[in-house]
Parts: sequence; structure tokens; C-alpha cells
Amino acid sequence: MNIRSLAACLLLAFPPLAPAADSQWVLGQNSLTYHVSHPLHESEGVSHAARGKGVCHAGQCDFLIAVAVKSFDSGDSNRDLHMVQVTRGAEFPLVMVRTRLPESAAASVTVNADLEIQFAGQTVQYKQVPFKLETHGGETRITGTIPATLSDFKIDPPSLLTLPVKNEIPVRVDMTWRPQ
Amino acid sequence: MLTKFFRNLRSDSSGVLLACLFVALAPSLMAQKAGTGILAGRVTDASGGVVGNAAVTAMSVETRQTQSVATGPDGTYKFDGLPPGNYRLKFEAAGFKTVEIPSVTVTATGTAVLDEKLEVSEKISGDQTTGAPTPPQQENLPNAPSSSVSPPSLSDLGLTPEQTQGNPREQALLDKRTHMLKIHQRMGLITTIPLVATVILGPGAGGKSEGTATRDLHVALGSLTGDLYGITAYYAIRAPRIPGTKKRGPIKFHEAMAWIHGPGMILTPILGAMAFSQKNNGEKVHGIAQAHGPVAIVTAGAFGAALLSVSVKF
Repeated sequence: MNIRSLAACLLLAFPPLAPAADSQWVLGQNSLTYHVSHPLHESEGVSHAARGKGVCHAGQCDFLIAVAVKSFDSGDSNRDLHMVQVTRGAEFPLVMVRTRLPESAAASVTVNADLEIQFAGQTVQYKQVPFKLETHGGETRITGTIPATLSDFKIDPPSLLTLPVKNEIPVRVDMTWRPQ
Repeated sequence: MLTKFFRNLRSDSSGVLLACLFVALAPSLMAQKAGTGILAGRVTDASGGVVGNAAVTAMSVETRQTQSVATGPDGTYKFDGLPPGNYRLKFEAAGFKTVEIPSVTVTATGTAVLDEKLEVSEKISGDQTTGAPTPPQQENLPNAPSSSVSPPSLSDLGLTPEQTQGNPREQALLDKRTHMLKIHQRMGLITTIPLVATVILGPGAGGKSEGTATRDLHVALGSLTGDLYGITAYYAIRAPRIPGTKKRGPIKFHEAMAWIHGPGMILTPILGAMAFSQKNNGEKVHGIAQAHGPVAIVTAGAFGAALLSVSVKF
């Protein structure tokens, strides 16, 4: 057995000794809920259709989450169509969220994330958004609320009976990530 | 060290005053105010050089109260004693592009750190002029690595081009639909006024009344209601349908009511004309014309229910 063969055998026998590959995360179960307030209504739209991936390298993980604007369901098809129209959801069909977190954050209880959100044709950054993390069986559940507003994305507040909705549209996030 | 400090203070009378001040102010000097948070950071330029004397303004999203500080020579700034909440931050410095951060969350338990990089160049618009996504502004994200590993892209998520590309034609259809339904909504509200007035005048227009003034007013308001209702209905019927949309929620009840108040709005004036004719001939309202009142009530009720169903959450 020459040295090259011996090295190959050692690598096969002791894979942890080989250079660590970049780890990846994939988004599993998820729930994104926006809340809209109107003097006559309090309504919420929920989507469970987000897709996401995280790529880790050199201690940093880049995450991308995308969800179709049309996938949000408020229980009222008329309201949902208005939402898609007012947010220009047919023209810009995806909400995309990008963030970068240290790989060590997975072991934390809370994390403050800087988010870059593309929505309704605008790109907006939200800094230091707090999220809670829970890890069970290798999966990490992240929950928190993004303090989004309509004006951030240059969306005219839709009105009902001539009364506009409030500018604040907080988005509750509940996502479970698992290593790929 | 503190002992030495106080020993030195005892040496003159002004020291006593300073000592009193120290004791009085120490809690607020040494600790963060209870129930408030700190927001701090450093402002740099694109090359990483510090930007001094930059104006940093924090506006509470909740209360709209603003506070401003300037960065020091080392580019750092600090807001102390901020009530917990979300703040909109603005960074302004001569020769640099103004940057606004829509929301930074400040908690009572920790220090929120927000470092900001100002650009000298022209402002790069975040607008998306096409449906194609713009690349992430990596340089603005924290701890940007120098690695060549690509961040995930939409193709990594398994999204098809149909899911990621915009459809301006559908957007135009949605815009037209919303425009027409807004008019429908407003006309419906306006129609309610003469509708209610017509119903109120109804008992005075027929029955035992022999006068014609109330009856004529009733007829005039009824005609106005019918015309406005026709316009209202037109904008609902002609609003574009969006393919692939399954109707759910209150809109189903709203449309079901239209099958009552729609025919009712046609039948009511016909019966009303018959009743009007009979009354003008000195006859007592009889036959099918007697149904004018009940039909009008049912019609108005269905119209009101339709209006409420999409206005108030039950």
C-alpha cells in the first residue's frame, strides 16, 4: 500500500478529518402571517408556502426566503385579490427576504437579524429584528415579528368605506429550518 | 479609587457640592435607565473610514417622537434611554447619501447595535423596474465574508420562471378590477341614502294618505335610487374576473344577496308604478301592486346585508 492509498483509506475511515464541507439549511414548515388593522376590521393573511435555503461558509450563513404574494390567504378571496393588486403582486410575484447570520446563531436562544426584504418592487432593510430560536432534534424553529409598514414599500394604504387601513402591517414569522 | 476620590473632594467646599452631585446622579450615570434601551453604532464610508459629525435621527414608529445625535470623531453614536420599540433611523452627513432604515428594534434589556455605511455616490434606487429580482446588497449586510461561496438564489429554491416572473397584464387586470370595485363601493354607499329615504317615505306615500306631495317625493327618490343602483351594479358586473380565483369568505354572501336585491330593484319600481297608477285613479292599491311595500323592504334589507357583509367582520 503506497502513501496515496493509505491517505485515501484514512479519509474514508475518518471522514471528520477531511475538510468540512459548507453546510446548508433548508426551510421546512413555515407560517408567515401579516396583520392589517382597519377601524372596522382586524384581518390577517397567512401563507405556508415559503421556500428557503441557507448556505454556510466560513462561519457565516446566507439565507434566502421567498414566498409568493398570492399564497397569502385571509379567508376572503376578494380581500386577497385587493391585497395582490395594491402590493403589485402580479407584477412582483415574490416576497424575498435575505439575511446573513453567524453559524453559531443556531445555538442561541435569540438572534437579532438584519433583513433585506424585496416586496412590491421595493427593497427595504430592517435592522436588528429580534427572533427567538428553539432547536429540537436538529431542527431549528425561528419565531419573531417583522415590523413592516406599508409606507416602507411605497404602498398606498387600501381603504374600505373611505377609511384607510393602518400603516403598520407586522408580519409574524414561524419557520422551521433543518440541515440539508 | 473611589475612597481617594472622596478624600480629595473633602479638601475644599466645592468638593462637597461635587460629591452631592455625584451621589444624586450616580444611578443614572452608571446604569441604563430602567425600562429603556440603548441604540448605538458606528457610521463609516464605503471604504470603511469613519464619518464624524453625521446626524443620526431616531423616530419612534409608535409615538413619532424624534431624537437626534451626532457621531463623534470616531464615527460612533449612541442613543441612551430610548423607550423600547421600533425606531426609524436617518443618517445624514455632508457629501454622503442620506440613508433611512425603516425599523430598528430597541429592547429594554440590551443594546441594539446598528452600524451604517454611507455612500458618496448617487443614490441607487431600490425600485424594481422589472419582475426580475435584484441582487442582494451584500455590502450592507453584517459581517460580509470575503468568500467566493455564492449565496442562495431563487433557482436554489426550486421556483419555476412562471413563479418568479411578473405578469404586467394580470396586474393591469387587477388594477382595472380594483378601480371598478372602488366605484362600485362608493356608489353603493351613495345609493344607500336615497334608498333609506325612499323606504322611510313609503308609508306616507301610499296606504291611508291621500296627499300627492309625499307620494311624488317617494317616486322621485325611488327613481334616483334605481338609477344609482344601476350604476352600482354595472361596476360590479363589468369588473374583470381574475382567472383561477376561487371565491371564499364574505364575498360569497355579498354576491348571494345580489340575487335578492337585484331582482328586487327591478320588481319594486314596476309594482310601485302599478300602485302609483291605482292611487292616482282614486283606487285602493290592490292586486299584485300590494306587494310593492314588502318587496321593497326585502330588497332594501338584502342591500343593507350585502353592504354590511363586506364592511363589518361578524
